[in-house]
Amino acid sequence: MTAVESPARGAGAGGAAGGGGAAGGGSAGRRVLALAESPGLGGLYARAGLASGRAAVGGPVRRALGGVPGIPAGPGDEGPRAAPALPPVEHRLGGVVPDPARLTAYQHLVGEPASDVLPAGFVHVLAFPVGIALIVRPDFPMPPLGIVHLANRVEQRSPLRVGDALDIRAWAEDLRPHRKGAQVELVAEVRRAGAPADGPAAWRGVSTYLAPGVRVPGAVPEEVARPEFEAPVPTGRWAFDAGAGRRYAAVSGDANPIHLHPLTARALGFPRAIAHGMLTAARALADVGARRGESYDWDVEFASPVLLPSTPVVRVAPAGDRAWSVTAWDAKRRRPHLTAEVRARA
Amino acid sequence: MAATPSSPPAPTTGAPRAVVVGGNRIPFARAGGPYARVSNLDMLTAALDGLVARFGLQDEVLGEVVAGAVLKHSRDFNLTREAVLGSPLSARTPAYDLQQACATGLEAVVSIANKIRLGQVESGVAGGVDSASDVPIAVSEGLRRTLLTLSRARTVPQRLKAAAALRPGDLKPATPRTDEPRTGLSMGEHQAFTTAQWGISRQAQDEIAFASHQRLAAAYEAGFFDDLVTPYRGLVRDQNLRADTSLEKLGKLKPVFGTRLDTPATMTAGNSTPLTDGASTVLLASEGWAQARGLTPLAAVVDAETAAVDFVHGEDGLLMAPVYAVPRLLARQGLGLGDLDYVEIHEAFASTVLTTLAAWEDKEFCLSRLGLDDALGTVDRERLNVHGSSLAAGHPFAATGGRIVASVAKTLHRRRAELLAAGEDRPVRALVSVCAAGGLGVAAILEAV
Repeated sequence: MTAVESPARGAGAGGAAGGGGAAGGGSAGRRVLALAESPGLGGLYARAGLASGRAAVGGPVRRALGGVPGIPAGPGDEGPRAAPALPPVEHRLGGVVPDPARLTAYQHLVGEPASDVLPAGFVHVLAFPVGIALIVRPDFPMPPLGIVHLANRVEQRSPLRVGDALDIRAWAEDLRPHRKGAQVELVAEVRRAGAPADGPAAWRGVSTYLAPGVRVPGAVPEEVARPEFEAPVPTGRWAFDAGAGRRYAAVSGDANPIHLHPLTARALGFPRAIAHGMLTAARALADVGARRGESYDWDVEFASPVLLPSTPVVRVAPAGDRAWSVTAWDAKRRRPHLTAEVRARA
Repeated sequence: MAATPSSPPAPTTGAPRAVVVGGNRIPFARAGGPYARVSNLDMLTAALDGLVARFGLQDEVLGEVVAGAVLKHSRDFNLTREAVLGSPLSARTPAYDLQQACATGLEAVVSIANKIRLGQVESGVAGGVDSASDVPIAVSEGLRRTLLTLSRARTVPQRLKAAAALRPGDLKPATPRTDEPRTGLSMGEHQAFTTAQWGISRQAQDEIAFASHQRLAAAYEAGFFDDLVTPYRGLVRDQNLRADTSLEKLGKLKPVFGTRLDTPATMTAGNSTPLTDGASTVLLASEGWAQARGLTPLAAVVDAETAAVDFVHGEDGLLMAPVYAVPRLLARQGLGLGDLDYVEIHEAFASTVLTTLAAWEDKEFCLSRLGLDDALGTVDRERLNVHGSSLAAGHPFAATGGRIVASVAKTLHRRRAELLAAGEDRPVRALVSVCAAGGLGVAAILEAV
């Protein structure tokens, strides 16, 4: 990957509409790193493996995976770095034109109609490598391979379509303690090429990740007691076969070994391969369907991984005016996998 | 028919009435039974042949034949037209295929009745057929894509490259599924949720199934089906009919749907319809057309209403659409449940009938969901599915509407004749309600002629 670093120009990447917090793009003194092409995720995972090996100080990589919801945390996880801080960098990638064939494959895989409007999950797929390239930087305070996707919030503020050239920005913010380690938010924004750089993004995604065992300064938040899960009456069921992770990897480019095969997953501490969180989140969005409109908010919280193969049951239910909730759970163990909310934007 | 104060307003333009003249079907067989080797086209043609024979329609040019099948081979793209060409009807009789899942047959009746009422055709046949035995088997997506790429390849290297993309798993065939495509759940699972929501008991469901078998058996014994059913492939009665079943026998069956819910599972193979093969046809015409041929109209198709529910977003149960269609239909005709002499509710499952009845009796549901002022009311069980329904007869999806309409038209005509003989001249009406996959439902009102 080739890149050009320059001081950040233009404010407002933090988003005019309520998201982002204090660390707006460029405005928090971040340097802009312009990527010349989309980082290939295969290479990123190879580098991630190396980085994790370094970070784990000789310990098994799987230790870093303790704290995945539903997977018992290993004892004695410890922060690998002293005084960790986020690198003050914003990655940018311009002129990304989505490939219609890849879009169709994605839409068919997650159950979206093959419309010319990009599903918000597909925009995430386009923006994901730009953000992940941050995590594999040597100065990023987390080991890349053990991080856990806790939640994902997306604002699709205006529709992006086939043929649109897209400018993507990504940065990390809000590093803070979690009771199992440290959590960070990877923020990505996508604008139509040529749109004002300081105007609102058409798409804004915030992915919350947990790095188990990593210590950062600050008060560790107290555990909030979750009410026990009560399985509602289902409205549907998802069928993920053993190859679901490989197929989503093929269309998304996210070939994290924990999703690909039982053997590679086992090497990283999982009993079986697990579905990509964003695959399950995309199924939830697709179940809500076209009634969400072209502009909507899509919030997902991941509770426990979906081990492959499996058939989680699902309930879609109205959650207010032009809003829907989606819950997916393991019917046998009565354990939730995810809860999502999709709200049409006015 | 003489008008009475309680009859619906007659069409002001003098539009012709669409009347059911009669019907013919083959006995319904269990999947893998005597019809296992015959096709949808074979069965539909057989049912049509019998209708032609019964009403002397040889060489007749009918206005239209409309029929369909739910599980359909791609080669049967013109199924109904092919059945016409294979029948003794004139080859100049037009036809088209229609598909609305389990409501196909009833929708075909409504479509032809509407054309008759508009004066576009004078006569027609509505029908439906389905085989759960001779189902289409598709190749896997992988093999299909490889074959399509191969057919487009022009050079040997291109062909080799296309063929190399094939994986061993691609050779596994894909059998058709009746699961709801959008939810991944079978119809039985969906209905199990609705059954649990409405708290329908196992006992009540078994009683519906028992009555269905008892009444269908009695109707056969009384010769009711003699002019409605033509034997086929050695079958003279519906194969699923168990005249000797009992509540005790039904009570011993193990539940098959809803076994993972918090509430006890209640739906068994006895109170759910089995997969079935069969075909049915109904002859419709204007009164003038029937009279010109010396045929006796049995009942007029008065009106119909289709509804759909949002089961995808958890608003309603999959098979609850008729619950919405019927009140709208009754309101348009100025009728109440009490004005109906017969009510036919397709027994997809015994609990479908019971959840439908429960919803109409539930004041809160009728106010909040149906927008009524009060509960719609109660259906007198003595008027419900009087000659048995799908639990006993079986349910070859698209053939069910024709089975019900032909039977109920005959029942209406007989009842009106009895009443007239007793000096009572009043309209005799029936409601027909059929639920269908996709959250669909069709309801129609017929009135004795």
